[in-house]
Amino acid sequence: MELFIQVLVSGLLLGGVYALLSVGLTLIFGVVRIINFAHGELMMMAMYLTYWLCQAHQIDPYLSVIIVAPALFLVGMGVQRFIIQPIFDSSALMKIFVTVGLFIALQNLALMLFKADFRTIQTSYAMSTLEVGGISISVPRLIAFCFALVLLGGLFMLLKLTLVGKAMRAVAENRVVAELMGIRVQRLYLITFGLGSAMTGIAGALLLPFTYVFPTVGAIYTLLAFVVVVLGGLGNMAGAFLGGLFIGLIESISGVYISPALKEAVYFVIFILTLLVRPQGLFGVGKGTEEVGLK
Amino acid sequence: MRLLQVDRLSKHFGGVTAVNEVIFEIRQGEIVGLIGPNGAGKTTVFNLISGLLHPSQGRIYFGGKDITGLRPHQKSLLGIGRTFQIVRPFDGMTVLENVMVPTLVRHRNPQKAREMARGVLRDVGLDAFCEANPQNLPYAYRKRLEVARALATEPKLLLLDEVLAGLNSREVSEALPLIHRIRERGVTIFMIEHIMTALMSVSDRVLVLEQGELIAEGTPKEVTENPRVIKAYLGENVSIG
Amino acid sequence: MKQRHLLMALAAGLLVLPIFYSAPYFLHLVIMIFFYIALTEAWNILALCGKVSLGHAAFFGLAAYTSAILCIKKGVTPWIGLFPALLVTFIGAAALAIPLLRLRGPMFTLASIAFAEVLRRVAMVWRDLTAGAEGLTIPFVPGWQNLTFTTKIPYYYIFLILAAGSVYIVHRLYYSATGHHLRAIASDEEAAQALGINTQKTQLIALFWSAGITGLLGVFYTQYVYMIEPEWAFSSALFCLQPALNGIIGGLGTVWGPVIGSVLMTPLGEYLRSYLGALQQGLNFFVYGLVLIGVVMVLPGGIVSPLLSLFKRWTPSKAPALDQGGKVR
Repeated sequence: MELFIQVLVSGLLLGGVYALLSVGLTLIFGVVRIINFAHGELMMMAMYLTYWLCQAHQIDPYLSVIIVAPALFLVGMGVQRFIIQPIFDSSALMKIFVTVGLFIALQNLALMLFKADFRTIQTSYAMSTLEVGGISISVPRLIAFCFALVLLGGLFMLLKLTLVGKAMRAVAENRVVAELMGIRVQRLYLITFGLGSAMTGIAGALLLPFTYVFPTVGAIYTLLAFVVVVLGGLGNMAGAFLGGLFIGLIESISGVYISPALKEAVYFVIFILTLLVRPQGLFGVGKGTEEVGLK
Repeated sequence: MRLLQVDRLSKHFGGVTAVNEVIFEIRQGEIVGLIGPNGAGKTTVFNLISGLLHPSQGRIYFGGKDITGLRPHQKSLLGIGRTFQIVRPFDGMTVLENVMVPTLVRHRNPQKAREMARGVLRDVGLDAFCEANPQNLPYAYRKRLEVARALATEPKLLLLDEVLAGLNSREVSEALPLIHRIRERGVTIFMIEHIMTALMSVSDRVLVLEQGELIAEGTPKEVTENPRVIKAYLGENVSIG
Repeated sequence: MKQRHLLMALAAGLLVLPIFYSAPYFLHLVIMIFFYIALTEAWNILALCGKVSLGHAAFFGLAAYTSAILCIKKGVTPWIGLFPALLVTFIGAAALAIPLLRLRGPMFTLASIAFAEVLRRVAMVWRDLTAGAEGLTIPFVPGWQNLTFTTKIPYYYIFLILAAGSVYIVHRLYYSATGHHLRAIASDEEAAQALGINTQKTQLIALFWSAGITGLLGVFYTQYVYMIEPEWAFSSALFCLQPALNGIIGGLGTVWGPVIGSVLMTPLGEYLRSYLGALQQGLNFFVYGLVLIGVVMVLPGGIVSPLLSLFKRWTPSKAPALDQGGKVR
């Protein structure tokens, strides 16, 4: 029983970070309506950046967020501006291929620059744990979780209260009308992509202390983000958050009770099952899902 | 002979009732018009009949057979054809290929299918444009293509959804004889229209829908003099073509 | 008629080529071109109805493993083994079809990736059946019944037949009723249904052809390289991305696009891999990625379409000139 609670707790903590990653994706999809196959690569870039900042400049990963977040914001904007925007009016097929091309290019760029080694960083508190009621909670995971929660709360407030946030919601709801109302949609896309990428990047920085980065890690996170987002309901923020927690739990549980080698297979199976049984996700979808066949 | 019978047909979307206990029938050989203010539920009725939507309640009978639960392609094979309000030609295909798509369903041999398609295009007056790209056709001709495609399914009942919308008055007066010719070939027509004069001149009977309910039914003369119908349209921008 | 003669000359040339020039590396390159022509055509069948699969490796791997396991563990010759292999592949295709064909665009693509990934991991873990990551090796016993040979020449002809066969199948399919229906479904599924097309059944047919040819290739290719392992058999780069890349560059949804794409990209890929890949690991695929982005941005129709429009059919509106009133002049 104690083991189970332990597994549950670790899963939830991990889930918080996954939620951050997935909310980034769902934000971008909800507003820009693009399914970015290179989403995980953003995470990978952030992780390598954090790694380099730590190894070469001894900057603590949590502190490096100050650099990583804006860096990824800019990268996100760049992707939107130079890769997505030019082909925005082409068919969905072309958009798939362009982001797949981006994914291949970035993954192999990482391979060229960093080789295939698995890297992680060791911080002074990486191994430390908190004992609470017989359960040991890993400190880096706890910090990551709290950080993620704070950021998600911040995003929520941004969407609800600020002008930019409201503009995002308007465009997500109905792009044409939003444009007629005076919202500069192209600029908003840039901001949204930047913001979604920044959040994903932060998730990467938060994860590095207790996981590895290697060139193909991006593909795994892309798929994971999609599993979460489909599970939670594409375009649905709250759904992405809860979905993230859920997947974190599943990964933790299947890692211990089934097999660590199969834990990814488990969530892909969940993905396929969700598409089979409840394509609109557990919590129902946001807008824009008819085009992709989820209803 | 009763071709189509709609019995207490209803459709709810969440809290909104789009179609409410509608009852009517269409006899073979008729041209029946369906009018009503915007949002009355006309296209929803079409979608229910053609199978794109499932009714929340009620039944639909075609040629005496209950077709309520059938899927769109099955209804098409039984003889219900429809056009869409917003024309949707298949891209990447010529005009001829577009019309071949339905003929190929019923005649697997591409040669025969091509002949049949050419025949249909001749009937609607588009045979000069067989090799054209639908996107390059004038709007009125794209609407004709839409009708041609539906005719190519060899329907017994043809649902025309605002087939005259967007046409200028000359184009409308060219389209009306086409509708008569379609009826002469034995196709029963059920059409949604906003262009009143055109609809009234061509229909045998008219049904009036308002907020999902059938509020009037009768000859064009009866319907246009019906006070309830006039009230429903008061303040409505009706095109006097 | 000119086209016919050209094709026949080409066929004759291909048939006698190995007699004149049989350097192993050259033959290998040509075999790989044939392989990719067949694989890309198979992938193309599904792409015709707008479903871009990046998980075709699933079908490849399922068939390849079935035939390899039967060959190694039960001594069944692949000529017979390919039937159960195809059966397994069709079962896999059916499992994919029922829920996933109703997805469109990117969601279908994601699901196909997930499908291949699940199979890959299962293959890694199910050691008893597949020997996990170490993979299986086909015993080298030369002879037609084992489909292993001392020279590459028999493989040349086998893959030539597979390539020609798949082009033929796609050609027939494209101009058949099913082909037109698939293109209609790709354009507007609802309108297609309203015209009487059973979209589910039609797409299922496409899927089975696509999976079947891919599976067949899996069986034969395994015999060619003598070994199979999960990382490679279910690999998305080789068997999913590559055909997609070839297909796009050649021209999506056309009959000859995959041929042109494969003929162009396969030698390029080999060159990139041996020179650039040796220089710096990953450089060749990096270039691939850039090429893909570039092609999509510059030539979304691929190379075939612009070429084709120079020849025949798809000329912009051969409609007679219309006057202001819309009457034919």
